Amino acid sequence: MTSKITNRIALTVIVLCALVMTATLAALLGYILYHGLSAISLSFLTKDSSSFQAGGGIKNQLWNSFYILFATMLFTVPLGLCGGIYLSEYAKPNKLTQFIRSCVEVLASLPSIVVGMFGLLIFVNYFGWQYSILSGALALTVFNLPVIVRVTEDALQSVPRELREGGLALGVTQWHTIKTIVVPAAFPGILTGIILSAGRVFGESAALLFTAGLSTPNLDFSNWNPMSMTSPLNPFRSAETLSVHIWQVNTAGITPDIQTIANGSSAVLVLCVLGFNLFARMVGKFIDRKLTGKA
Amino acid sequence: MNQVYVKQNVEESHQNMKKASPVLEVKDLNIYYGEHHAVKHITMPIEEKSITALIGPSGCGKSTFLRTINRMNDLIHGARSEGEILYGGINLLTPKVDVVQLRKEIGMVFQRPNPFPKSIYENLVLSLKFSGIRDKKKLKDIAEDCLRKAALWDEVKDRLDKSALSLSGGQQQRLCIARALALKPKVLLLDEPSSALDPISSSKIEELLLKLKEEYTIIIVTHNMQQAARIADKTAFFYQGELIEYGNTDQMFTHPAEKRTEDYISGRFG
Ligand SMILES: Nc1ncnc2c1ncn2[C@@H]1O[C@H](COP(=O)(O)OP(=O)(O)O)[C@@H](O)[C@H]1O
Ligand SMILES: [Mg+2]
Repeated sequence: MTSKITNRIALTVIVLCALVMTATLAALLGYILYHGLSAISLSFLTKDSSSFQAGGGIKNQLWNSFYILFATMLFTVPLGLCGGIYLSEYAKPNKLTQFIRSCVEVLASLPSIVVGMFGLLIFVNYFGWQYSILSGALALTVFNLPVIVRVTEDALQSVPRELREGGLALGVTQWHTIKTIVVPAAFPGILTGIILSAGRVFGESAALLFTAGLSTPNLDFSNWNPMSMTSPLNPFRSAETLSVHIWQVNTAGITPDIQTIANGSSAVLVLCVLGFNLFARMVGKFIDRKLTGKA
Repeated sequence: MNQVYVKQNVEESHQNMKKASPVLEVKDLNIYYGEHHAVKHITMPIEEKSITALIGPSGCGKSTFLRTINRMNDLIHGARSEGEILYGGINLLTPKVDVVQLRKEIGMVFQRPNPFPKSIYENLVLSLKFSGIRDKKKLKDIAEDCLRKAALWDEVKDRLDKSALSLSGGQQQRLCIARALALKPKVLLLDEPSSALDPISSSKIEELLLKLKEEYTIIIVTHNMQQAARIADKTAFFYQGELIEYGNTDQMFTHPAEKRTEDYISGRFG
């Protein structure tokens, strides 16, 4: 066989694989959106869900999803940034560092249902926070933290060493160099990673089943006192998120329009995640252009 | 004047000054990377307000030597040094020296231009801000002054808020020199500053260095013999970690004392 033919075959196989992948994705998205978009309406997005009658909405679930996402990011971003900075900039290349890095990797690859069980044991039962926003967000923190650490470390590692030396050679301390030169240079990468991980958190369900719960109390959207039980801000109330809702409706729903609700919710979920991804790209590009002066 | 000094040494340093003697005195300096003996028994004085060129084939220890002067080699895992580098009577290699302060007095410019991915202005004032200067007017003045000294002002004065990465390679390197001048260092170390640049940018840098030596002590590593001949007052020839010959540039390029120097200069190896 000549090398030319080998080349042809390799190329064909690769193109085929790419086609299969794209087609699968397109089919999936098309299916979800085709069935779901028609279910989405203003009233669907702004009405409470109903347990028996048709015509329920997803207002609370949508709110819960964003609330838990926000709380999770509030915990993971500062912690993850610090961890990533430590591993990339300060940790000496020794056994302990290697061990920490392995831990991060193992943590990142834990099945989310296991993280959920862990959350049930620790946050829900041991600390007694019940099924709540707080328990859910902490479980998702366990789930998301290693990702942020990795993303941060990778982004920092891709900053050229010359920049660090440039800072230190100017009589600037290491911390100040990291703070004002290295982290800003890595910022587009870090931010993109954070936004992409937000998509993962937003769509997560297994880790929330036993931590944030399967129901939401009646919420009064005019009550913003976070200590009140009917307040949407209360972090100690149980909260069913959008993805949990999809699971719930599909397995235990008894309303006549389960199909419509599941389809609509899925479409909203997918659109949100898609939105995060596009947003990540745009922000990354924008900052990159600003930094390199091509704007 | 100089916080690297410990107090009781101020007098001593004044005496050193009076003799108009070397700002830096290297005495029996040895540098190792783990077991590898990279720089061997270097002894050389470095004159104030002059240009000293370090030449020699690649791998002979020029960068290692240069990076030891401002303790940048501390950053390399496994690197250590023995001997003395006296700066105003203080051995820079002792642990009690404040390296942050030291690097403010002994600035450095690298082979590849390394502007920070920030605006031109931010590049210049970053170290000043770190040193606690907050006054906007003062920052602006120093930035302008540095850019003028680095012969870059006319080219960038209308775009100080543009990214430094939008400059050409030669401009970036001059920005790095300007940046190093901001803290008014006494000594400027340059490691092959024009080797990554085109000939025109390179000659601009040479002109600039000739002007700067009126105020600063300059040590430059270069692999370009003509460059050394054009700008350096003194030249040091390194070979396999040793200082083979050190003297006035004219002397060395016309009548080298050592056979190896002659061979290297005439391009027979390296
Ligand atoms: N980071 C390092 N780790 C180990 N050895 C090094 C390192 N940097 C340089 N060396 C060794 O030290 C010697 C001198 O290198 P260097 O100072 O870079 O030479 P030059 O700048 O003259 O080309 C070389 O033999 C090189 O292999
Ligand atoms: Mg070198």
